[in-house]
Amino acid sequence: MEGTQKPIELILARNLMSGLSTPAFLVDAGGVIVFYNEAAGKLLGVRFEEFGRAGPEQWGPAFGPFDQDGKTIPYDRLPITLALREGRPVHDTFRIRAADGAEHEIEVSAMPIQTTGGRQGAMAVFWEADG
Amino acid sequence: MKVKLWGTRGSVPAPGPETLRYGGNTSCVQVTLSDGTILSLDAGTGIRSMGLALAAEGTRINILLTHLHMDHIQGLVFFAPAFRPTSEIVVWGPAASDASLEDRIARYISAPLSAVEVRELPCDVKFRDTPETEWEIGSARIRAASVNHRGPTLGYRISEGDTSLCYIPDHEPALGTDLAEMTPDWISGFELARGADLLIHDCQYTDDEYPDHLGWGHSRLTDTLAFARRVEAKRTVLFHHDPMHSDDFLDAHFGLALERWAELSGDPTAIEMATERRELELGEVTGPLAQQTAAG
Repeated sequence: MEGTQKPIELILARNLMSGLSTPAFLVDAGGVIVFYNEAAGKLLGVRFEEFGRAGPEQWGPAFGPFDQDGKTIPYDRLPITLALREGRPVHDTFRIRAADGAEHEIEVSAMPIQTTGGRQGAMAVFWEADG
Repeated sequence: MKVKLWGTRGSVPAPGPETLRYGGNTSCVQVTLSDGTILSLDAGTGIRSMGLALAAEGTRINILLTHLHMDHIQGLVFFAPAFRPTSEIVVWGPAASDASLEDRIARYISAPLSAVEVRELPCDVKFRDTPETEWEIGSARIRAASVNHRGPTLGYRISEGDTSLCYIPDHEPALGTDLAEMTPDWISGFELARGADLLIHDCQYTDDEYPDHLGWGHSRLTDTLAFARRVEAKRTVLFHHDPMHSDDFLDAHFGLALERWAELSGDPTAIEMATERRELELGEVTGPLAQQTAAG
């Protein structure tokens, strides 16, 4: 989907992710998922090209991050959100529900994309905790 | 707007009989606006000749640096106006978090690399971080954006009235991606170059050379042409020639470029190889510049 020109740091991050076999995703400064790679698509059960850009109100419920007790984790407590808002790396483990209904326990490491022009977004890599 | 190419080479100067036609000086492009304002895009060794050609007194010039690699700043201490107290020079360049633009340039203009220090330059020189928003110099609006190269690197768009020039001398927009498949918002430099009357763009490598230089921050021929087509530039100058490329080699390179360009349904008169001292005029030349032009 077209939009305004992306900052070069997001373009570079996307290009890097495209070549990784580790699941990874990218959000812009507004927390909108602007890309996730093929490996992430496999785990999530839906390719990015099908899922498309999605704001937090869309991608949160779609994959329902929830804790060990089954409670939904609020968007503002997710690693990617904390990385974006607080400008620090964050690591956490929780469960997600893929598009096919399968549940996965995943570990997520998120980091902000900080530049001289400010925080342009955040990126995260994740993998199955028991994988 | 008048444009003159004073340095077309990339990486390192390449003087010699085998590079006489396309030139051996590194990146420097003079832009003269309709109100007479002079800009220098980069300050490679080509700026030395440019300095000698400028009027001796009262030079006011804005130097817009894309980045601080040597081939883009090496001519600064050989720029004659910098050694005149009557000159006013503003140097613009990409911001960095570790040091000011002046301090970073001073790493080059200082011992043991240079016989003079920045503070010894007799001209009135100012260093300014290139703003993230559009700004004005003389009769032009200037816009800069970060582009894909190694280290903080900018491209520039200079607009005057309806006329626009885009300068991206060091650029690898296809790194890790396919330009034909990406939407414009994900293509480095796209907005900067979109619809430009003249695009001066990196074309350092042949397609055969590129695999050995992947990630070095430069374009191969195919990607330069693909970028030019995607942004719909009206004219494109293939710039930043590799120092290993002789005139004869570049002639052959351009022949290949024309073939590829035809495959993209491009107008053969819309691309050319950057040639040192080449002058181009964009848009209607008016104001003081028209008087200078008429006076010869």
